[in-house]
Amino acid sequence: MSESANTTVRVDGVSKQYDLGGTVMALDDVSLDLSAGSYTAVMGPSGSGKSTLLNLIGGLDTPSSGRVVVNGQDVSAASEAERADIRGTEVGFVFQTFNLMPRLSAVENVALPLVFDGWDRDRRRERAASLLSEVGLADRTDHVPSELSGGQRQRVAIARALSTDPALILADEPTGNVDTDTGAQILDLFDDLHAAGNTFLLVTHERHVAERAERIVHVEDGHIQSIEDVSGGQH
Amino acid sequence: MDTGESVRITLRSIRAHKLRSALTVIGVVIGIASVITFATFGASVEAEIVGDIETSNAGNIYVFGTPADDDDFDRTLQPVFTEYDIQQLERIAGVEAVLPRGIVQTQSIQHGDQTLARQQVTATRPASFTQNVLVEGRSFEADEEAVVVNERMAGSFSENLTAGERLTMTMPDGSERNVTVVGVVNGTRGEVPVSEFARQPRVYVPIDPFYDSVVESPSAGVRQRAYPQVTLVVDPRAIPETQSAIQTYLSGESDARSLSADDTELVARSGNDFVEEISDVIERITRFVTGIAVIALVVGAIGIANVMLVSVTERTREIGIMKAVGARNRDVMQVFLVEAALLGTLGSLLGVPLGLLVGYGATRYAEVTFSLAPLWMALAVGVGVLVGVVAGLYPAWRAARVDPIDALRYE
Repeated sequence: MSESANTTVRVDGVSKQYDLGGTVMALDDVSLDLSAGSYTAVMGPSGSGKSTLLNLIGGLDTPSSGRVVVNGQDVSAASEAERADIRGTEVGFVFQTFNLMPRLSAVENVALPLVFDGWDRDRRRERAASLLSEVGLADRTDHVPSELSGGQRQRVAIARALSTDPALILADEPTGNVDTDTGAQILDLFDDLHAAGNTFLLVTHERHVAERAERIVHVEDGHIQSIEDVSGGQH
Repeated sequence: MDTGESVRITLRSIRAHKLRSALTVIGVVIGIASVITFATFGASVEAEIVGDIETSNAGNIYVFGTPADDDDFDRTLQPVFTEYDIQQLERIAGVEAVLPRGIVQTQSIQHGDQTLARQQVTATRPASFTQNVLVEGRSFEADEEAVVVNERMAGSFSENLTAGERLTMTMPDGSERNVTVVGVVNGTRGEVPVSEFARQPRVYVPIDPFYDSVVESPSAGVRQRAYPQVTLVVDPRAIPETQSAIQTYLSGESDARSLSADDTELVARSGNDFVEEISDVIERITRFVTGIAVIALVVGAIGIANVMLVSVTERTREIGIMKAVGARNRDVMQVFLVEAALLGTLGSLLGVPLGLLVGYGATRYAEVTFSLAPLWMALAVGVGVLVGVVAGLYPAWRAARVDPIDALRYE
């Protein structure tokens, strides 16, 4: 496998084992490439290792063996501080439970990654406000999360994931905590952002959500079972 | 991460837990306030006492004997400084006046129909009374049957004594001496500094004809008067040299040396020495009491540490979020350290004025002039911030080590 310029993520022979009173193999020799601008879904039952894969690519965790390269940076060899920087600038997370800072306003939440990336206050605010209007929340900038609906919170989280203009957006069950209509709107937003050139990796256990991607990676018992091409299958 | 942002995050967190934060701050306030209170009160007492001594007694050198055993007070007052010694002391360069002091015992002193029993009378030279200390009248002459009284003494009679009135002194042998009060003073030149704070009623008489404690002078070979205490007024520009010349004479061939017990030390102490000694004692007391107050500060610090640990646990998920969006461990530490430091700073900012207020009240109650201890105040604020930071270190370190994956799952 050659590392071409348009490969955003390269997962190369990655294993991850946990010691929980006995070794648990969460991932076993998994390899996967994500090219720039691609939209990939990872499907599998709970405990299949899909979340572990996402955590490894996102730099939240390190593999037991193998290599994870994100946008040219070897996450598996990075120090803790370097991984923090990779999480901040190369990756944007969207979580099932939104994970917004409860006491920060929408605009401050969106600007939070920029704080750790060393942006000054005025530029942070400007960038965050423009991202909020991009996700349709221009009139909610100064609301704290508890004053927003589930769908609005997830939009704030998406705007936050975009704030440092990352190479990759990682979404972990992004529609799991919202109703069907709101979930569809969020997936529509993902489509728009994908169309604008963003690279997506989405973890889900729902078939209809996974089908919004270009391809579906089926994971089971720590192995990739199959990669299904659904390109053009979108509505 | 920039400090402004961590302060902002911290302020939100403090605002979200107003009661808890307030109680924590109160702990620090009490600690800082107690330290400030005791420190200012101590400084005020010291300034009051030292200030008084410095203004009036800088050029005095006090000469007396101190026995090896400090408790043996009687031996301090042995008449060992002979007239011969006084003549020798007068010859030392820099000495402007030598004021011997002797004690004359009386059974009582009467004025009109009032009698005061067992009054101590001090025999001294007319030079002890300068214009500065005279409230009214004049000093006595060297061999006059006259007395000078201080204001306390003048006030001891139902009708205040004034110059020109007459007193009757009953001597230990029962004989009576009628004397005229020629002057009233508010102190004497060359008084031992500490006596200013507990001024006793005093009657002063001329050495001749009242004082008759005599010993044989080993140097002069004749019997002559001797005194337990001598004050020398010296040229203020040459205190150290003069003091050491006096000390050399005393420790060398003085009569006082020959007449004193071997283990009695003859000392020449300047007003400044007294000031230093007194300051030293007050400072030591202040430090001790302030040290106890520091315990309150330590308790305040423990309060901060405790609340920060709770805060870290409560905000585990927030720590996970911050880490997921790019916060390094030291950013997370910073957020929690800033919170702890802010609680400490807030505590000291409120504690300093409170401490000053209580300290001021204490000085008013003790009737001493209030003076600030700026160093202690700066120290207290510094310590408050430090207390916060130190108390926050362990919780912040715990926060920084939180695993983001676990934290994001944390409910």
